[in-house]
Amino acid sequence: MGERTRQALPSVLSVLLSLVVCWQLIALTRDTDGTAVATAAYLEMLWGGIGDWPRFIEGAAVTVLTRPLGEAAMKAALLTLTGLSVAVAFKVGLFNIGAQGQMLLGALAAAVVGAHVTLPGVLHIPAALLGAAVAGAAWAGIAGALKLYRGVHEVISTIMLNWVAVRLVDNWLVVGPLRGVAEAGASISGTAEIHPTSQLPRLLGDSSRLNLGFILAVVAAVTVWAWLARTRSGFETRAVGLGDEAARAAGIPVARRAGFAMALAGALAGLAGAVLVLGTEGRYPGTLGAPYGFDGIAIALIGNNHPLGVGAAALFFGVLRAGGTRMQLLDVHKSFPELIQGLALLFVAGRLIWLAALRRRSTPTVATAAPPAPAAQVPHA
Amino acid sequence: MLEIIHRLLFATLDAAPALVFAALGAVLSERAGVVAVGVEGMMRVGAFCAAVAALVMPTPLAVGVGMLAGATLAAVHGYLCIRWRSDQVVSGIALNLVALAGGTFLLETHFGPNGTPPIQQLAPWNWPELASVPVLGALSGHAAPTYLALLLPLLLQGMLTRTPLGLRLRAVGDKPHAVATLGLSVPALRWGAVLGGGLLAGLGGAVLSTTVLDRFEQHTPAGLGFMALAAMVFGRWTPLGAFFAAAFFAFGNALRIGLASSAPGLLDVVPQGVLLALPYLLTLLVLTFQGQRNSTPASLGVPYEQESR
Repeated sequence: MGERTRQALPSVLSVLLSLVVCWQLIALTRDTDGTAVATAAYLEMLWGGIGDWPRFIEGAAVTVLTRPLGEAAMKAALLTLTGLSVAVAFKVGLFNIGAQGQMLLGALAAAVVGAHVTLPGVLHIPAALLGAAVAGAAWAGIAGALKLYRGVHEVISTIMLNWVAVRLVDNWLVVGPLRGVAEAGASISGTAEIHPTSQLPRLLGDSSRLNLGFILAVVAAVTVWAWLARTRSGFETRAVGLGDEAARAAGIPVARRAGFAMALAGALAGLAGAVLVLGTEGRYPGTLGAPYGFDGIAIALIGNNHPLGVGAAALFFGVLRAGGTRMQLLDVHKSFPELIQGLALLFVAGRLIWLAALRRRSTPTVATAAPPAPAAQVPHA
Repeated sequence: MLEIIHRLLFATLDAAPALVFAALGAVLSERAGVVAVGVEGMMRVGAFCAAVAALVMPTPLAVGVGMLAGATLAAVHGYLCIRWRSDQVVSGIALNLVALAGGTFLLETHFGPNGTPPIQQLAPWNWPELASVPVLGALSGHAAPTYLALLLPLLLQGMLTRTPLGLRLRAVGDKPHAVATLGLSVPALRWGAVLGGGLLAGLGGAVLSTTVLDRFEQHTPAGLGFMALAAMVFGRWTPLGAFFAAAFFAFGNALRIGLASSAPGLLDVVPQGVLLALPYLLTLLVLTFQGQRNSTPASLGVPYEQESR
């Protein structure tokens, strides 16, 4: 078994096991026809994520494909960005639980720049994205600075910063100073609507919600991969994550690498918020809804903290989660894919169990392959 | 004035127990060196199972079911972290995600979006002779968990600081290899602490759905588990400290709710969102300025391996 397969196999097996367990769960919670309902629900989830191919073949309009695929791609884009955020921090040895808070701040910054700054179209989107990235990086920077200068563990500080962000943004800024006012003077929930110049352009026109954010996420994943795998500072960042004492002895500026990685993590999470606001929501809504920041932890670990693995995991769960809404047809709550994702993370957490099981499985094959050679040598000995 | 203090104290004593139990559970687990990020998830399953159990059995028994549910989730955490040396934060986060989505799924499948049907709440204990005393009278009229939440921190503090078992539990969180050289089992001590922590977190959740509310609601416990973690850190990983921190947070919350109804003008000066963020901000400040007196257990989050020294 190759090293790469050995690295990826626990994640793949965990996702498969989670799919089976969750299928069983639907089957068990039904009084009649459990297995049939479970299978039907899974099929709905699939068609809701990759497009309704059976209906398309029967002659339905092409939108039965583009709409679900667009939803899946946008969910995947958000999961990729927050997943990358957690993975980058992991690479330098920090556990960024704060992607949620950083994303919140990024979303707010994008909404403010989008609504309260007037710029031509070419500049407005980059400005809003930059604002979101800086806001996320600053919020993560607090945790980074506390870690480097005061020795505060980043797990605790990012959890606290998440809740500070939620309370300050959702319970104060968005309902208070930054609350939007609609044309007629009636107040609306969330911040003011962003200018059309700051909306991320739709890639397929009106036939789906797929927008520039997806491209942004793909570019981010490839860039982060290239940085980590192909540049000197990326290599040094990984070296710090593998052992900071050794890295320091080798002359690597440990604090600078850790600080930069944490800021980059925050910027990526902030961009996720920007993609949500500028791409689909059009404003900072009353509350930010789904906790993509926490999902990022699951995506990063299922993707084994590899930028391209993160992209793959995000794509897979983007499809499932876009399909989740269609499971409602069979009275399965739309958050069901989150359960699949959570269980998959739990199984990935037992990585060593998988590796032990795989080793036990592969030992006999080695044993049967090996004996002939020594056996041939016995007469000589 | 006395009346206001009485009402504030009463509200605090009603709301604090869930937070206190969860914080104590987190302290117990973390003092033995196992990270307790999963407290939120344990509270959620505790709250859910207690609310469902109370539909078919007396409420006090249902609270016990909630505790066992919390301990079951803690057992998964223990199996992954102690037996298989998994990353404790990852395992805890995974349990939170599973409890969040799983709770929603089961609730929607069996009861619908409005939560479980209402159940019989735990009965309050009334002491008429105490109730007439000013201020102290706020102690009367709460359900059993309130009094347990006043007693348990003392017991746990005594256990951790004054008994051989407590010494061993603290040692296993600081220097597990030293404990092993005494011929004691590090895994057994950590298992005990993790399961105990699960029971307490489950109790915290069960209290939410049997005294604070009369059902399981979709968002229960809505981040209270993370506030319990803040109370644990704020209280420097000691049971009494965590108790005072949790009580302080609960009192602040009661004060905020009281102000919102009686003096809404004041909340224009200090917005509610800022007050809601205060527990976490204060915890961050405490962490920032604790300096050399760092009270984090030394081996917190480090999986124990007999062979590694």
